[in-house]
Amino acid sequence: MLSYEPDDTVVHRLDPRSKLAFQIGFAAAALAHATPRALIALTGLCAVVLAAARVPIRETLYAYRLAVAVLAFVPLVAAVTFGPPWIDVDDGIVSARASYRVFLILLVSAAYVRSTPVRHSRAAIQRTVPGKPGQILGVGVALVFRFFPVLQADLRTIREAMAARLGDERGPVERASTIAILGLTRTFERADRLALALQARCFAWNPTMPPLTFSRSDVPVLGLSGALVLAAFL
Amino acid sequence: MDTHRESVEVVDDAVVRSFARAALLAALIGAAAPVSIPLPFSPVPITLQVLFVFLAGLVLGPVWGPISILLYITAGAAGLPIFAEMRGGIGVLVGHTGGYLWGYLIAAGLIGLLVHRGTDLRDPAEEPLPVVVVALVAGTIVIYGLGAGYMAWLLELDAWEAFLAGVAPFIPGELLKMAAAIAIVKSGRIAPIQS
Repeated sequence: MLSYEPDDTVVHRLDPRSKLAFQIGFAAAALAHATPRALIALTGLCAVVLAAARVPIRETLYAYRLAVAVLAFVPLVAAVTFGPPWIDVDDGIVSARASYRVFLILLVSAAYVRSTPVRHSRAAIQRTVPGKPGQILGVGVALVFRFFPVLQADLRTIREAMAARLGDERGPVERASTIAILGLTRTFERADRLALALQARCFAWNPTMPPLTFSRSDVPVLGLSGALVLAAFL
Repeated sequence: MDTHRESVEVVDDAVVRSFARAALLAALIGAAAPVSIPLPFSPVPITLQVLFVFLAGLVLGPVWGPISILLYITAGAAGLPIFAEMRGGIGVLVGHTGGYLWGYLIAAGLIGLLVHRGTDLRDPAEEPLPVVVVALVAGTIVIYGLGAGYMAWLLELDAWEAFLAGVAPFIPGELLKMAAAIAIVKSGRIAPIQS
């Protein structure tokens, strides 16, 4: 599982907004062009990003193993045709190129995940999206991060209790609805307590945020992001 | 020393409660990503994520249901490993499974609109069964239409290939999830926030 790791690389020091802009630029350029030349250029750029963020390649590929398997399998599905000649190589190659660019996009976003702490992402969201929608998104995302492990533990408890009572030998519909009802009632009880706690602490639309500033090293990254977005329209 | 003065704009009671539910449901959708139930007659197991997307529309309604899914998508884009296969990052949103995620957003809103028919929430346990069934079927069509459609465009597949890779394996599981969602709302154990 891939997550943030503290480090002192160039990518770690960048403003989260320029990293987000770069990912959008990279994705736009990759989605617009799947020619061999574009793919070679994007592969080089992706390699630079991974090296700059010191992303461990083997662990990342392992974390994405299912996605990699699907992306490798899809060109085969595309190549198979009903009726002679049964295998359409050209169709498969077109699809393989398309799959490969998705793989590159996933790797670049792995570099972001590894190099950016949650509170930076939250501050970036809240400063980019103005007003109440930005507040809802920023606070909401922070709450999702906070409660994700708690609710995972809740679900684990529910499943262990079901297994202890031989609940895992029942039919799939009954198992799914039992887990969902218990999971949802527990979650909503927690939500109602959380709402009370938020109100007790004067939950407001205008709290104070940590400062974010663009530094000199953000300039080339932002420029490159703009160039990539432009390249998508060429 | 300068004193910074600003008045505090407190969030309304109903909004805080709906917001807390939406945020925690988003976390629950993420926590359900690794939970899978094997099916005896299909190689693809049931995952509970889509079931919670149905419930987001059914219980939270046409406004807070999509907000919940939006929080789920944003938290995943910010790097929390809550998408299918425990992945996270913006790349997943434009990757081969990205269409399904955007489908969740529209499906939750559509199910909410069809069942509640407005922003005042009704109790889905008291809605007639056909309404709930139509809403769930429409939501599922949106999720798989967008999911397989985007996959076909992105990976240069034709419609039939996209159907084989992105829809057909999941049909039995989806039918069971609809049955489970109906059983849950009809049990009457989960009441929406009525203001």
